[in-house]
Amino acid sequence: MFLQQLLNGLTTGSVYALIALGYTMIYGILGLINFAQGEIYMCGAFVAVLLLATGKVNFYLAFAAGMVAAALLGVALERVAFRPLRGAHPLVPLISAIGASIFLQSLALLLFGPNDRPFPIQFTFSTITVAGLPLSTLQGAILAAALGLMGLLMVFVRYTRYGKAIVACALDRDTARLMGINVDRMVALTFFIGSALSGAAGVMMAIYYNATYPRMGLLPGLKAFSAAILGGVGNIPGAILGGLLLGVAESLGAAYVSSGYKDAIAFAILIGVLLLRPQGILKGRGD
Amino acid sequence: MAAYLLHLAILAGIYIILAVSLNLIIGYAGQVSLGHAAFYGIGAYASALAALHWHFPFPLAALGAMLVTGGCGLALGLPTLRLKEDYLAIVTLGFGVIVDLVFLNLEVTGGPDGLVGIPSPRLLGLSFRPQPLYLLLVILAVFLVLGFTYLLVRSYHGRALRAIRDHETTAQVMGINTPAYKIVIFSLAAALAGLAGSLYAHYITFINPESFGLHTSILILCMVVLGGMGSIIGSVLGAIALAVLPEMLRQFQAYQDLIYGALLVALLIWRPEGLLGRGKLSLKFLTRG
Amino acid sequence: MLTLKSVQAGYGRLPVLKGISLHVRPGEVVTLIGGNGAGKTTTLQAICGLLPPRKGLIEFAGQELNRLSPERIVALGLALVPEGRRVFRTLSVSANLELGAFHRQDQKQARRDLGELQERFPILKERSRQPAGTLSGGEQQILAIGRALMARPRLLMLDEPSMGLAPRMVTQVYEILKELKEAGTTILLVEQNARAALKVADRGYVLETGRIILDGTAAELKEDPEVQRAYLGKGYREVWE
Repeated sequence: MFLQQLLNGLTTGSVYALIALGYTMIYGILGLINFAQGEIYMCGAFVAVLLLATGKVNFYLAFAAGMVAAALLGVALERVAFRPLRGAHPLVPLISAIGASIFLQSLALLLFGPNDRPFPIQFTFSTITVAGLPLSTLQGAILAAALGLMGLLMVFVRYTRYGKAIVACALDRDTARLMGINVDRMVALTFFIGSALSGAAGVMMAIYYNATYPRMGLLPGLKAFSAAILGGVGNIPGAILGGLLLGVAESLGAAYVSSGYKDAIAFAILIGVLLLRPQGILKGRGD
Repeated sequence: MAAYLLHLAILAGIYIILAVSLNLIIGYAGQVSLGHAAFYGIGAYASALAALHWHFPFPLAALGAMLVTGGCGLALGLPTLRLKEDYLAIVTLGFGVIVDLVFLNLEVTGGPDGLVGIPSPRLLGLSFRPQPLYLLLVILAVFLVLGFTYLLVRSYHGRALRAIRDHETTAQVMGINTPAYKIVIFSLAAALAGLAGSLYAHYITFINPESFGLHTSILILCMVVLGGMGSIIGSVLGAIALAVLPEMLRQFQAYQDLIYGALLVALLIWRPEGLLGRGKLSLKFLTRG
Repeated sequence: MLTLKSVQAGYGRLPVLKGISLHVRPGEVVTLIGGNGAGKTTTLQAICGLLPPRKGLIEFAGQELNRLSPERIVALGLALVPEGRRVFRTLSVSANLELGAFHRQDQKQARRDLGELQERFPILKERSRQPAGTLSGGEQQILAIGRALMARPRLLMLDEPSMGLAPRMVTQVYEILKELKEAGTTILLVEQNARAALKVADRGYVLETGRIILDGTAAELKEDPEVQRAYLGKGYREVWE
């Protein structure tokens, strides 16, 4: 039972971690919270679900399309709601992002209606026993995919030219420009990558809970933000750790404390972290 | 028709209190709250429960509601207001979600059905049930709130607040205890939202969680941004405009949130000082590079 | 190679440069000396496009720089070693060096250059995988110079390379500059430490409150009584040797 809950928590936690990476990367480079991250997640899920519902697209292609659509939405969002406001008081882009978030949510509501959509294809998932632990292959697949994407991101940031350039912009924008790095392009690239990860998270959750709906981004967005704070906002390994910890805490809390207030657990953790250690578990910005 | 106009006027008055109090947070503490509707809701429920269960007279119920919401503001502000702007926005958003959850799950709040039969105010044997009288009551409250806000903003403390908003570090160096100021202003604003909730509950006489969700918080935020952040007159006009306009544009109701979202982004890009902001009333600091 | 004609620049309403003219010819080492707040750093920022000039003309290799972004300017072959080193602290030493070559088209050649540079400055090889922030001030200065060299600049500009360094490290940094000069690198060197700067420079300009008050060969400047009094601190012990 305990191990099962732990596994459930790791599964949802790995998805929170993917969204938290988007928050943390964008915060790292712009010093701003992208309030519409949850809507980008929702967009990824909808694009994949709608494509699959046509019956003409295979699963992997739909998954990739969800990620790309989310990434493009992120880039567009940066152009419209963030870039024109660079240099203004930090309240201004914050409120503008809130506006964008509401806009996207209500646009989805108008286009797709308020009801849950089931995931269009039925997977047959079995339960296998690994070391005496019943493991659903669905959870295994989500966990593997999420960890794989995180690994790719770490490799990208640490070992590629553009990854290092993004970190350089986050650390010291002017000096990065002196290296010939185009900061605007790096910001766009950051939004692209962070949003693609959120889009992937959206598709995974659409499968896991078998539900896609316009407001689906609100709670995961809030929880992922808490995860990013927990790990130290701006810190990439911190966001991953924070997401996993939060998922586990939520799952154990729901099982052993109260299931009615499951969604409140992340929030309680957020307040606790802000009170006790606002810089998060792993400090710092940048890499 | 007259009844309908009175109804609109009463709602506009309640929105004025909400917008002005949120503007205290935005324009004078430099923070964004997305949980203003939650304070409004807590005020409404607290006041209604006090009247229904303990038969508090209206003034006491309203005062109790303000104390409760002010206390919630204090509890929420303490951990977050020392930190960057973004934290309060997210924490208050989360607070809104939790409050919604609590209203829906608790027995005493009546779950999704909410509370019914909330008594109308009675003062000195006079019932304020008739709309014109209730409107008078709301107008009185609006003037009290505006007068209080005006005095606060003009006072020494108001100057300190403006210093914090414009240059927090400088203000700190000058010996202003900035976190303390922000926390006080936030909890005051929460208390005023509680008053608005109380006025709403005793007017409408039935409440449910639906009226106090994120949608309402965004609506209040739009009123403030439309009128100009930091401008009290702007908030009053913004509140009246957004209380009345949706009624006139009923056929677009489905598009309301879509329009509000787009309005926020567009306003901040083209006119960050708000539609009515000009010169002295507006916050130039918001556009300064 | 680099020409400034009556350049004015400043922050907000505050003018810092009040009309500066200077030039650097290919193969020359030119120094710009002056006290705190004279406008030395502002001059370099104006050249690099971080602070676009209000008036005047900045030209590099026949091309006007006034309205170009720093990214474009750097790609033309200018490299700046900024004041205070400004290494990317959490990135490794080798990542810092790689970023110096970010805008280059020939990334393969850049990788070979990285190897050569590390041979030349063994400390950068030893500390290759270490975060740059863990280096000492002098090592960071060498890293910052190496990072600028990775761009294979046609003109290397340095902003107060001796600032905050121990005397021994100042010597070492200036040894490097001397070697670069002998290899034919064109250098614009901004310094408060006039004594050190005038030892490597061919020519110099003296900047005071936003205006150039004096210029000449290094030898002339060293002999100028005004320079001796204000910048060389005659009567004090020579610190940097």
